[in-house]
This record gives sequence, structure tokens and C-alpha cells, in this order.
Amino acid sequence: MTTDSVPIGGDPRRLLSDARALARRVRLDQRLTWVALLVLAVTTLVAIPFDVVGMWVRCHPDGSCEFARNGMLFYWIPALPIAYAVIAVSYLRAARARGLGTHIRPYAITGAVTTVVLPAAWVGLRLYLAHHAVPEGPLPYWWFALDRLVMPWSMIGIALLVLAWLERNVALLLFTVVYLALVVLVLPLNTGYGPPQWGLRWNYALPQLAVAAVLLLGAAGFRAAARRRRQP
Amino acid sequence: MTAVTDAPDPDAAHPANGLDDVVHQRVRLGILTIAHEARRVEFGYLRTQLELTAGNLSKHLSVLEEAALIDVEKGYEGKRGRTWITLTGAGRTALAAEIDRLKQLISRVETVSHPDASPHPTEDR
Repeated sequence: MTTDSVPIGGDPRRLLSDARALARRVRLDQRLTWVALLVLAVTTLVAIPFDVVGMWVRCHPDGSCEFARNGMLFYWIPALPIAYAVIAVSYLRAARARGLGTHIRPYAITGAVTTVVLPAAWVGLRLYLAHHAVPEGPLPYWWFALDRLVMPWSMIGIALLVLAWLERNVALLLFTVVYLALVVLVLPLNTGYGPPQWGLRWNYALPQLAVAAVLLLGAAGFRAAARRRRQP
Repeated sequence: MTAVTDAPDPDAAHPANGLDDVVHQRVRLGILTIAHEARRVEFGYLRTQLELTAGNLSKHLSVLEEAALIDVEKGYEGKRGRTWITLTGAGRTALAAEIDRLKQLISRVETVSHPDASPHPTEDR
């Protein structure tokens, strides 16, 4: 192996391409995407009993019911920062075991933003609705989508979007786009879904179960891909 | 009459003139790149990625350390010795300057080789 300087002329392109390949290799070795998805899936699963048990419900003789998902509110506000902290520590430990450091600050900023700012908007919306009547008649679809956008499952999606950007992880970006489309446009996370005999509480559990299943499937897929890449 | 051309003046400051011998070397550029991307990197990781012997890697690290481009921190994890390498502020600047000059060189070589062709857009690192 030579220690001489590489001569100029023809080689700059190779030097640059080698440097890019090394940087990419480091980024691949720092990734722990499946752990992030697994932690978020478990956090979502644990939220379900909190939502079911913590839901305040009062049904009237005419069959209509009032309810408030207090359990969800009290669970997610501490659960999100704890989940992000677990993910950050896992990234640090895995990178260290491989002989690398990792950039923790962007994760911390993302965690802080999605933990504080957006749930604050969510709480603000709840407070607004507590003092203002919901408009009569069927609500427009965008109202439901906007409501879902400030819910914890969308916060998870936004955090994953930032993670994909930081890691330049195209596969995670595609996964997150599909995930966000599901939680904002498809799954009835704010209206519930299920047979009437299940009752109001369990109707809200089903869409959350679907979110956890998607995250778990993603974790399994990224784990399989990471194992395949590390095999000699 | 004076002819006007878009071709670069070969006597103008050539990007190669600004190349730093310490950084403009495949292995040392690799060390700086990895340390930049990883924030800090362990000796063993560098040795594996750059396919070097321990002695050879140590020589390159000494050159970079003498130029104050990296910090070398030796310690223990349990009973095992570990050496961590961190990029200094000067190292970050030197790496960015080297990458810029490489891009300029590539662009210049392409312009000189194909005077009619517009230079290729450079990618970000």
C-alpha cells in the first residue's frame, strides 16, 4: 500500500467516488431502522389498553354517547419522548459496537419538535372543541384528515420522515409515505371502526392495531434486509 | 482583433495548485471522510474499511494528527484497548476544501477535454 500522494489527472473522479462510497458505507453501518420501527410499534401496542381503559364515556338513553380519549392523551405525551430516547440510545450503542459514532443531535431535535410542538397543537384542538360546538351536519373530509395529522400516529410518521432524510434512506422514505397515507387518509383513527357490539372503546382499538401491525411488518422487513446486507 | 473564447485560461490559478498534500491522498482522504460521516470512528473500523495493516494506518493517522486535522483518543473498554479518531475543526475545513478542489478539477478536465461541452453538474457529497 502506497503512502504517496495520488497524481492529478484522471484520479480526482476516482478519489471523489471512493470518498462517496465510504460515506455511504458508514451511513449504512449506522442504520438501525428496524429497531426504530419496532420500538414505535411496541409503543403503539401499549397505547391500546391505555386508550380503552382511560376513555371517558357517558351514554344517554337515546343511544347517543359522549366520550373523551383521556387515556390516549396522558399516555402519548410521555410515551413519545421515551420511545425516541430508547431509539437514540439504541443507535448510539449499536454504532459504538461497530466502531462508529453517530449524529444524535438531529434525532433529539426531531424528537423535541414532534413531542412538544405538534401534541401541543393536538391538545389545543381538543381544548378548542371542548368550548366550541362542532359544526352541524357532516364534517368535511379534510377536517378528519387534519385531526389525524396532529395525532400521535402521524407524529411517528413525521419522525420517520426526518429519519429517512437524515439517513438518506430511500426504502424508509417509501415506507413512511405509505404509512402516512394510511394513518392520515385511510385508517379511521379518530372515528373508530368495528362491529357495534364491540362497543365504543374497542372500536378505537382496531385502527391502532392496524398501525402497530404496519410498523411491526416494516421492522421485520428492514431487519431482514439488514441481515442480508451483513452476510458475507 | 481580439478573439474571445469561453475556454479556460491554462495559466489561470489551476485547482491543482491549491491541493493539500496531507489530504490529497486516497487513504487519508478516506480517514477524514469516514470520521466526518461517523462523528468519531474506532481504529479497527478504519482498518477494515480501508483494508490497511495496523502499522500503515497508524502512519497515516500520525500524518493527520501532526497536521492537527484529527484528534486521537486512546482508552479502554473493559480490558480491551480502543482508539477513537475524531475530526477537528481544521480537519472539517480541509476535507471540505479538498472535495471542492476535486470537483473543480473534474469540471476543469472535462471542459478542457470537451471545450464545446458544458461541464457536468457536480453532485453533493
